[in-house]
Amino acid sequence: MVNSPASDNTTTANHWDIFCVVVDNYGDIGVTWRLAKQLVDEYQITVNLWVDDLHSFSHILPQLNPYNVRQYFFGVNIIQWNKDSIIDFTPGEVLVEAFACELPSSIINQLVTLKQTNPSQVPLWINLEYLSAEDWVEGCHALPSLQATGLKKYFYFPGFTPKTGGLICEANLLQQRDSWQHNPQHKLALFAQLGINHIKAEDYVMSLFSYETDSIGVLIDYFVQKTKTSHILVPQGKSLASIAKHLSCSVEELIKQRHFQLNNVHIHVLPMTDQHGYDRLLWSCDFNIVRGEDSFLRAQWAGKPFIWHIYPQEDDYHLIKLRAFMKIYCDNLAPEIANEWAELNLAFNQDDLTKVAEHWQSIDFQYLPLLKHAKKWPIDALNGADLASRLVRFVKNS
Amino acid sequence: MKTAHELRPGNVIMLDGSPWVVQKTETTRSGRNAAIVKLKLKNLLQDSTTETTFKGEDKMEDIILDRLDCTYSYYADPMYVFMDAEYNQYDVEAENLGDAAAYIVDGMEENCQVTFYEGKAISVELPTSVVREVTYTEPAARGDTSGKVMKPATITGGGTVTVAEFVKIGDKIEIDTRTGEFKKRV
Repeated sequence: MVNSPASDNTTTANHWDIFCVVVDNYGDIGVTWRLAKQLVDEYQITVNLWVDDLHSFSHILPQLNPYNVRQYFFGVNIIQWNKDSIIDFTPGEVLVEAFACELPSSIINQLVTLKQTNPSQVPLWINLEYLSAEDWVEGCHALPSLQATGLKKYFYFPGFTPKTGGLICEANLLQQRDSWQHNPQHKLALFAQLGINHIKAEDYVMSLFSYETDSIGVLIDYFVQKTKTSHILVPQGKSLASIAKHLSCSVEELIKQRHFQLNNVHIHVLPMTDQHGYDRLLWSCDFNIVRGEDSFLRAQWAGKPFIWHIYPQEDDYHLIKLRAFMKIYCDNLAPEIANEWAELNLAFNQDDLTKVAEHWQSIDFQYLPLLKHAKKWPIDALNGADLASRLVRFVKNS
Repeated sequence: MKTAHELRPGNVIMLDGSPWVVQKTETTRSGRNAAIVKLKLKNLLQDSTTETTFKGEDKMEDIILDRLDCTYSYYADPMYVFMDAEYNQYDVEAENLGDAAAYIVDGMEENCQVTFYEGKAISVELPTSVVREVTYTEPAARGDTSGKVMKPATITGGGTVTVAEFVKIGDKIEIDTRTGEFKKRV
């Protein structure tokens, strides 16, 4: 990591600008921060990452000073912005608005003026959309959006097929994961580093980073009945409220005590970690419960079985997105296991506690084939090219 | 001004100094409930078509052109022929009807609005909803009456609509022509 003030790099003619509005704590910023780092690392692109909420950002980049409007970490210029402030913006080669965040009108006006005076200098304007496995994504990916101003913006959709924008995955990530998982001492060292010294290599370990749901209580009850020692590792977040409810204590009490034991079940509240640390946590667990988009994808790269607690949408539309992903994920999985895993995910997302208990038990018995599938899945999902490489190619061809 | 979400086949919008007729709309939902609208547009000056995507709340200038209330008369490949109250006939290219073509059937009584650009009939807007008969659909598997379980159904004219599982062959259903969605059994 190099940490020096944001330099003149912010104004190079071929730099990229990525704008991000933090909607929840870690999702939007998690995705854009990974993309920015990867573009710098693997493509030597100068990247300005514009973020409205540096406090949230600092949870996954602890070195960040939330009160400093311009900073430089891992080769990325990080600049604080908000819609109402005056922005010192110099157009570069590419302008990415992440997740359809609305750009300030002053920037739009700058682009319009540039189009009139020097059209070849207008940056390629890209709206980086949310990840979805739905069929319609292929038909909308990379289409232009003709703006009333005469500007043209492109919708870029991440996805799981060759006709979509791909998935964020660093070039050497899977090799790093394999190397990590090859030696059990790595995970034990990580757990010790997190302040958990009594996990044995043969214990069952699950990470839990979900939205609030009573389904968590069902899983805790299941582990309580087992003779094998289980550990549930919970990064700070919304899962804590559900655990507190199940244990009849407060979230504050959970955070203060950090460790709770129910028979053979140990619940550990983890300190905040950076993205690098979270990846290693996912690699080190037997099962991961993840949410939203960023942790959802990282759980897939971990090559371990997982439950996806998807961001809830109106009219249960999130269940359509969940089903679309499960259909792709289960394509090469034995039908009986695929069905149990899919039903478990549906039950978890619908708080159907009876079914969560029923299907979790089945999945527990089918762990090894599910693990084998999870290991193989990243290669299928990537289809030979990750998001950054497809995005760079798209820019070159546009 | 109309939002992208409000556009429907037959509307004419102004983009980058050119009038475009909306031939097809497809609304989907991205993350966090945001609507994504995919449009097939035809440039009325250059006669070219393009596909484009908008956020659902993107606003655009819709052009008010001359319109006439007409009824569908007959199809003379590749033209749909409409007639006004004074028995004047107007030909509209099938391509320009876009998704609306799925709801145009012989004998339909609904009034349509034919839109003119420089004296030429360029598109047709259907009423917001139409009633059509289901000509084929699979029987309900488990007698679901909640309306939440859906299945495909073919309607008069050959179009396909996703309907509630309780809908049967011969039922008349109301369809939202803007979205192609099943509204209710009538």
